[in-house]
Amino acid sequence: MSFREEVALTLRGARMQRRVIGALIIRELHSRFGQHYFGYIWLFFEPLLLGSAIGLLHYLSDHSAIFGPFEFFAAGYILYFIYRGILNRATIAIRSNLHLLYHRTVTLPDIFFARHLIETISCIGVMFVFMFALFVVNGVMVEDPTKIILAFIGMALLTQGLALMAAAATEAMEGVERAVHAFTYLTLPICGMFFLVEWLPESLQELALYVPMVHLFELMRDGQFGSRFQAHYDIGYVAAWILVTHLLGLAALRITRQRLGLE
Amino acid sequence: MALELINVHKHYPTRMGRKIILHGACGRIARGEKVGILGRNGSGKSTLVRMLGGVEAPTKGLINRTMTISWPIGMAAGFSGQLSGADNARLIARLYGRDIQKITEFVADFSELGDYFRMPMMTYSSGMRSRLALAVSLAVDFDCYLVDEALAVGDTRFGRAFAEKIEKSGLILVSHSPALVRRLCTRAAVLDQGILTFYDDLDEALATYNAL
Repeated sequence: MSFREEVALTLRGARMQRRVIGALIIRELHSRFGQHYFGYIWLFFEPLLLGSAIGLLHYLSDHSAIFGPFEFFAAGYILYFIYRGILNRATIAIRSNLHLLYHRTVTLPDIFFARHLIETISCIGVMFVFMFALFVVNGVMVEDPTKIILAFIGMALLTQGLALMAAAATEAMEGVERAVHAFTYLTLPICGMFFLVEWLPESLQELALYVPMVHLFELMRDGQFGSRFQAHYDIGYVAAWILVTHLLGLAALRITRQRLGLE
Repeated sequence: MALELINVHKHYPTRMGRKIILHGACGRIARGEKVGILGRNGSGKSTLVRMLGGVEAPTKGLINRTMTISWPIGMAAGFSGQLSGADNARLIARLYGRDIQKITEFVADFSELGDYFRMPMMTYSSGMRSRLALAVSLAVDFDCYLVDEALAVGDTRFGRAFAEKIEKSGLILVSHSPALVRRLCTRAAVLDQGILTFYDDLDEALATYNAL
C-alpha cells in the first residue's frame, strides 16, 4: 500500500469514527435520560448542586485560613465530579452497551469516548455557570479561565485513560467493579480537592505531587486565584500519565474485545 | 466482491477444557449468492454468524469482507431496549451513514408499529421487535444479509418483501431447518463438530445434514 493510500484509508477511518461517536452521543443522551428534558437538566444540575452543597458546608464551617472556601470547594468538587463520574461508570459501560457491538463500525473505545465527551462538556458548562454566578453575586472574576478549562480537559483525559483500564480489568476479573468504586472514594482525600500543595509540610509536598490529579487541582486553582498562592504543577507529568494510561487501556480493550462473547 | 474465510479457527476456553467451534474453515461466498449454513443446536452456528458479521473475532485465521454485510439479524440483537423504535432506526442510520429521514420513514411505514414506533423497545412483543429489526435492516440496504434462523420469514407481507430484497442482494442463512434453507438458498454448507463443509449441490448438503 502506498503512503497516499494509507493516508486516505486513515482519513476514511477517522471520518467513520467521528460519525459513530456522534451517533453514540445522541443515543447516550436519549437512553440515559429518556425523552424528558428533566434528564438533560439533571446532567447539568447534579454536579452544580453537589458542588454548591459541599462549598456551602465548608463555607459555614468557617475555614478562616482558606480564601473563598465556597469557591475553593465547590469548584474542587465539580472537577472531582469528572473523575468520579467517568471512572465509576466505566465498569458498567461494556455490559450495558453490548448490543451496540452488533454493528461492526462500533468499537469499544468509541463507546467510552462518546460518554466522556458528554460528561466533560457538561462539567465545563457547569463550571462556566458557576463562575458566572459568582461574578454576578460577588463581583469577583476568576483570574485565568483558560487554565481552568485546561484543568478540566486534563482531568477528563487522565480519567479516560484510567477508565479504559478499569473497564478492561472489570471484564477480565470479578470484583474489580467494587474495587473501582472504593478507589474513587479512597483517592478523594489525596486527589487534591481538599488542599493546596503549599499548605502541606515539605516532606508531604513531594509525595503529593506524585499523584497526577493533584497537579490538575493546582492548575485549576491557579486559574481561579493564582495570584494569591504559589501553585505547584507540571503539565508534562500529567501528559505522561495520560499517554501511558491510554496506551495500556486501549491495548487492554483490544484484548477484551477479542474475548468478548456476545449473546 | 465477496466474503472469504481463510483457515478460520475458533475456540472458547471452558471449565471442561477447550470447546472447538471452528477448526480451519475455508470458503468463499460471492456477492448475490444465497447460501445456507446448516448445523444442529449447539454446533456453534450463532458464533459463526457473529464471526461472519465481524462482531466476534476468530481465534486464528482471516475473514475477508469485500462486500457490505448486514449485522447478524436475529430476534433483535443490536437494538437498545430503552430507546424507541424510531430512535433505534435513527441510531442505525447514523452508524451506517445513511439518510436518517429516509430510513425512519421507511421503517415507520414498513414495520406497521403505529404508536409503538415511538415507544421504548422494551415494551414491544417479540413479534414487534423482529418486525422492527427486519424493517431497519431492509432500509439500510446491504450486499449480503446475514440472518440467524430465529427470524420468521413465512408467507407474510414481511416474508415476501424480504424474499424480494434478497432476490436482488445476497443471503447467508444460518439455520437448523433444512426446509427453510431449501426455500431460500441455492447452495449450503454444513457445520458439524468444528468442520464447515461447503457443498455446491443443495441436495447433497441437505442429505449430509439429515444423516448427521
